[in-house]
Amino acid sequence: MIMSSIDLTKPTRQSPRGLILIFLFSAQKFIRAFWPILLVLVFQNEIFRNNRTILIAVLIFLILLIIHSILYYLNFYFYLEGDEFILKKGYLRKQTLSIPFDRIQSVNTKQNLIQQLLNVVTLEIDTAGTAARELKIHALNIFISNELQEQLQPVKKHSQSNDKEQTQKSETVKEELLLQLTPLDLLRIGISQNHIRAGLIIIAFGLQIFNQVQDVFQEQAEEYSSEFIEFMSQSNAALLTFMVIFFLLVSVFFSLLRTVLKYFDFKLLKKEETYRIESGLLNKRNVLIPHQKVQQLNWETGPLKKLFGIYHLVFKQAVSGQNRQQQQQLVDAPGCLAEHLKKLKQDLFGEDKLIESSRIYSDFFYFRRLWLLYGWIPVLLAAPFFYSEWIFWGGAVIWLLSSAGYSYLIIKKSYFRMNKQQVRISKGAISHKWEQMELHKIQAVEFKQSIFQKRRKLASLELMNASGIITIPYINEKVAISIYNYLLYHTEISKKSWM
Amino acid sequence: MPENLPEVEAEKFTGLDRKYLTILYIRILIAFLFLTGGLVTVILLAGDNFPKNFIFLIAGAIVLVIAFSAVIITLGFPRKGYLVREKDVSFQRGLITYRVTSVPLNRIQHVEVNQGVLAKILKLSSVNIYTAGGTSSDLSIPGLAENDAQKLKAFFSGKISDHE
Repeated sequence: MIMSSIDLTKPTRQSPRGLILIFLFSAQKFIRAFWPILLVLVFQNEIFRNNRTILIAVLIFLILLIIHSILYYLNFYFYLEGDEFILKKGYLRKQTLSIPFDRIQSVNTKQNLIQQLLNVVTLEIDTAGTAARELKIHALNIFISNELQEQLQPVKKHSQSNDKEQTQKSETVKEELLLQLTPLDLLRIGISQNHIRAGLIIIAFGLQIFNQVQDVFQEQAEEYSSEFIEFMSQSNAALLTFMVIFFLLVSVFFSLLRTVLKYFDFKLLKKEETYRIESGLLNKRNVLIPHQKVQQLNWETGPLKKLFGIYHLVFKQAVSGQNRQQQQQLVDAPGCLAEHLKKLKQDLFGEDKLIESSRIYSDFFYFRRLWLLYGWIPVLLAAPFFYSEWIFWGGAVIWLLSSAGYSYLIIKKSYFRMNKQQVRISKGAISHKWEQMELHKIQAVEFKQSIFQKRRKLASLELMNASGIITIPYINEKVAISIYNYLLYHTEISKKSWM
Repeated sequence: MPENLPEVEAEKFTGLDRKYLTILYIRILIAFLFLTGGLVTVILLAGDNFPKNFIFLIAGAIVLVIAFSAVIITLGFPRKGYLVREKDVSFQRGLITYRVTSVPLNRIQHVEVNQGVLAKILKLSSVNIYTAGGTSSDLSIPGLAENDAQKLKAFFSGKISDHE
């Protein structure tokens, strides 16, 4: 059997090229911490005039930084010992971190532009403990990183006890490409993003710039803005349409840009029981997702996405301790077709038996609650201030009607299917979202009932797993109670691993 | 679904220690003092510039909110309680919106006993139960007598070592 040439049980350092990276990181940290002092130094003419002092100061600073980088580099190493990953770092204050393999939730890599040039990666090891310690290695040789990812991969430990033959067999298993996004796909995905959100961000951003400009050139800006208002009041429908189209184009452009940056050369691969995602242009990411670590699968499609037949898919994994950067834990595939979705569901949940259980919809009372919340309450709150203006009443009627429509869309999509092993809920208003999980991944169940629900014998349920909450709103009280009791029973007798 | 599953029945829950109600009242009192203190400072600083009607409005709002929370806490206290069964632990609360949360014992990652300053004087503790991942599914049982809290912690810790 050919083993890799890298022996990870020996203490290994980062790549020597990482020195540059460490140097840059430390310089950045230093400047961030001391920029006010630096500013003072630069603007204090007396010191600045003496060129030699400045030169010497900068030189000393650079030398210190270089010494720091070298010491940091030399004292930073890691190795595998028994069933633990051990990392030692620091020269003034020495620090040792050790992580047992079975605590490791995920091992991912990232690569920014500088790292791409240096051909090194950042390796992140995540444990879902409550006291999560950040473990990042910023300048790792790619070969070592791949080897580490392979070795630390959480599923691996199960096969360790197996006989040699088995391991030999698994060595030969090829990685299978499930999904790859071409530039054309990215175009379609970019176009079908939620442009309203992007548009709002751009408007907010624009307003902020406008405010800042206004602060600087107050008088001129006032002149311009009054001109602008005049211009707006005189403008006709054609101009307004033009502006709307302009904004749409800008937001489409930004969505496209974002999509390309994040999902450039997106690949979803599968090897045995593990998915791997590779994507990104400036910041590359390489994420491993063992099947058993997927707590929940979410997917959604919107009106535009439906047109292209694409779904956005998210593998939800356990969120570590201080739900910092939750975004990072969400591993997503931005655009996949129905067939991909079907295959992934098959992998994670087996054959779809949920389809045999009937849909249970939320009670119609849920509609009234939503309409009250989105429609009546805003109108009633605004009424005391605007009741004298007739235009308000026109707007209120339109608002009430459209919020009723919106609430209707929500209730039409609010249903769930459940059998003894799994649950799938459907939700959404304009876009349609689904969430599916295996019931033994449940960590807690909550039963919620307001006095208004109680009167109508309704209740809501919240099913919590290590990655978040699945909510089933406004169902029959008796059904909710029996599901509640079943879920507890099912989880309590389950012997399957849930993390 | 299997028939005759054991039910989590609201009547079987153990209520919290009455002394915990004192802590809740003291918390409201502190909130009240903070709010009125803030209002007084604003009035003193702003002097005559502050419209009188506005002062009455805010003062009224403060009194209303404080009175409302006092009533809710008094009436809601009997609703608060916990239930430990063979394989799970539950906590219920809520007057307007009633909630019961249950955590199966085999999903508990670790347990803690906590005691604040007020609780220390009154010899009360709370037991915090942590599950894996985010904080959404963690459970906290406040207002327990010190030795009850320790007993519960010991019980849960024993269950953790069983399933690990």
